[in-house]
Amino acid sequence: MAEPVIEAKGLGIKFAMNRRRKRSLREMFIHGTKRDPNPQGAEFWPLRDISFEVEQGECVGIVGKNGTGKSTLLKMIAGVLIPDEGSVEVRGKVAPLLELRAGFNDQLTGRENVHLVGSLHGMSAKMLEERFDDIIEFANIRDGYIDMPVRHYSSGMKVRLGFALISQLEHPIMLVDEVLAVGDKAFKRKCYDAITKMLQNNRTMVLVSHSEADLKRFCTRGLYVKDGRLALDTDIQSALDAYNADVKAEQEEKKRAEAEKKRKKSGEGDDKAA
Amino acid sequence: MGHRPSSAVPSAAIDRAQFGAAVFGGRLVRIAWYVTPARSRKFQNCTPEEVAVASRALAVWQNRKVVSLLVRRDLKVKYQKSILGYAWSMLEPLAMAGVYFFVFGLIFNTNRGVPGGDDAPGGYVLFLISGLLPWLWFSVALNEAPKALISHAKLITTMKVPREIFPFAVVSGKFVDYLFTWPVLLVFVFSLGGRTSVQGLLVWLPLAIIVQFAFSLGITLLLSSVNVLVRDVERVVRILNRVLFYASAIIIPSAMVLESDTFPTWFKTLYELNPLLGIFKMHHAVWYPADAPDAFILSTSVGGAIITLIIGYVTFRRLETSVLKEL
Repeated sequence: MAEPVIEAKGLGIKFAMNRRRKRSLREMFIHGTKRDPNPQGAEFWPLRDISFEVEQGECVGIVGKNGTGKSTLLKMIAGVLIPDEGSVEVRGKVAPLLELRAGFNDQLTGRENVHLVGSLHGMSAKMLEERFDDIIEFANIRDGYIDMPVRHYSSGMKVRLGFALISQLEHPIMLVDEVLAVGDKAFKRKCYDAITKMLQNNRTMVLVSHSEADLKRFCTRGLYVKDGRLALDTDIQSALDAYNADVKAEQEEKKRAEAEKKRKKSGEGDDKAA
Repeated sequence: MGHRPSSAVPSAAIDRAQFGAAVFGGRLVRIAWYVTPARSRKFQNCTPEEVAVASRALAVWQNRKVVSLLVRRDLKVKYQKSILGYAWSMLEPLAMAGVYFFVFGLIFNTNRGVPGGDDAPGGYVLFLISGLLPWLWFSVALNEAPKALISHAKLITTMKVPREIFPFAVVSGKFVDYLFTWPVLLVFVFSLGGRTSVQGLLVWLPLAIIVQFAFSLGITLLLSSVNVLVRDVERVVRILNRVLFYASAIIIPSAMVLESDTFPTWFKTLYELNPLLGIFKMHHAVWYPADAPDAFILSTSVGGAIITLIIGYVTFRRLETSVLKEL
């Protein structure tokens, strides 16, 4: 069997509560990042002990509440965060659809930015030349705007241009973080079509999203991240079900707690009255 | 030489092989690493990938296109919005040279200290220019060093590239700016009758540039990563910039310090320990053979640059994990 495209083993990352600011310079130079600066536990692990494998051609959705480290996980796969524990191996080039405006320089024109960012992501000049018109058309940039500095663009235009550009990448692995939530309806539909097309060539995708529809549309497999751990690794429907069940339970818990509080309060009132 | 698969190879040879290959950025080191017997591995507590400096150097080399893109982008942005564009690259050092010539050349009569005597071809003016132009390379790079990573935060947190390329791009970009100022220098050389020698052009000039590049890169690696965690660095840099300018014999010939009776010996030794002193003496030596650094100054500047580069790189790698979290 072929090797998995993404292989995470015991992945964990920690952040210091006090953001390391209190460390003296001396300590930092001597110990680097090796020595733990806050031995009293002023640190937290947004993610810990995450292990999974993704085979080629799979589309995996990551679900979970806000702040459970979904994006952090994606960033570690993308290699832009270094895990403190475990390792993640990615076999193949990665097209990161994490922050679509990244790398755009406000002073340069749209055309120059497309060439700059495209080349940063490893596109050749020839490829960019060939696809330039496609990119502009996809991004739906009005005539003339492409030769204007990007600082005059609306935020929507920048994101559209970013998506149009990165969706032209032919890298075998795609990491997508919530970017489908941008743009108007027409553009969204175009994005869906583009992603579907990209997935056809046996490419691998990891998608982080809060939209059930998006997840169900693309993904076959779901990872449910709960409290910094991988709670479930099943098909997307079961992961979503588990997530929804947890959310529901939590809400009920909250309601019950509130009711409890109210009762207590009114109880106290009664006591006083008595 | 050192990468024969035999544990009988003396460890010193392998260390040298590791170092040599690291400099020339290659796969060799990986081989050297696997071949090196465990007991002679210098960095005992490091994981193999941490020692694989070479594989990182290789990665930087593979990303040289990105470096050139960043450099070209910066140049484009710089020249795009100004009317005079490229002319500024020459006007700025000219204005500075004018001011320093007024103060030091005319008022304090520094002419007497020019290496090779009063009547050395080129005089004090050429001395000034030939020091100022490479100084601007260092000084601007030093100024931008703390921001090298921060200003690319968006890019760094979304794209996987070896992070070293950003400091590297700063130093290279400023180097290109320096090359652009060469026409100014040549105008002065021809109009003032400056003379160079074979040794000056083939030894001192390339050596000065290589050593300065290494030193600047080391400083930039160090400051760019530390500044993400401790923002005080930006302040330090401003002071450093001023102090190093006067401490490095850029506009004041070093002989005026070293041969003067005003300063105690320890001060002169300290003065000589500054790696930049040797670097700028070399820059001057291209036009003033009498200013060629002696063996001690040469070794402090070459050695200092290598040590700075190593410290900068090690710090950069050690802080990388936390830097990425903070960006």
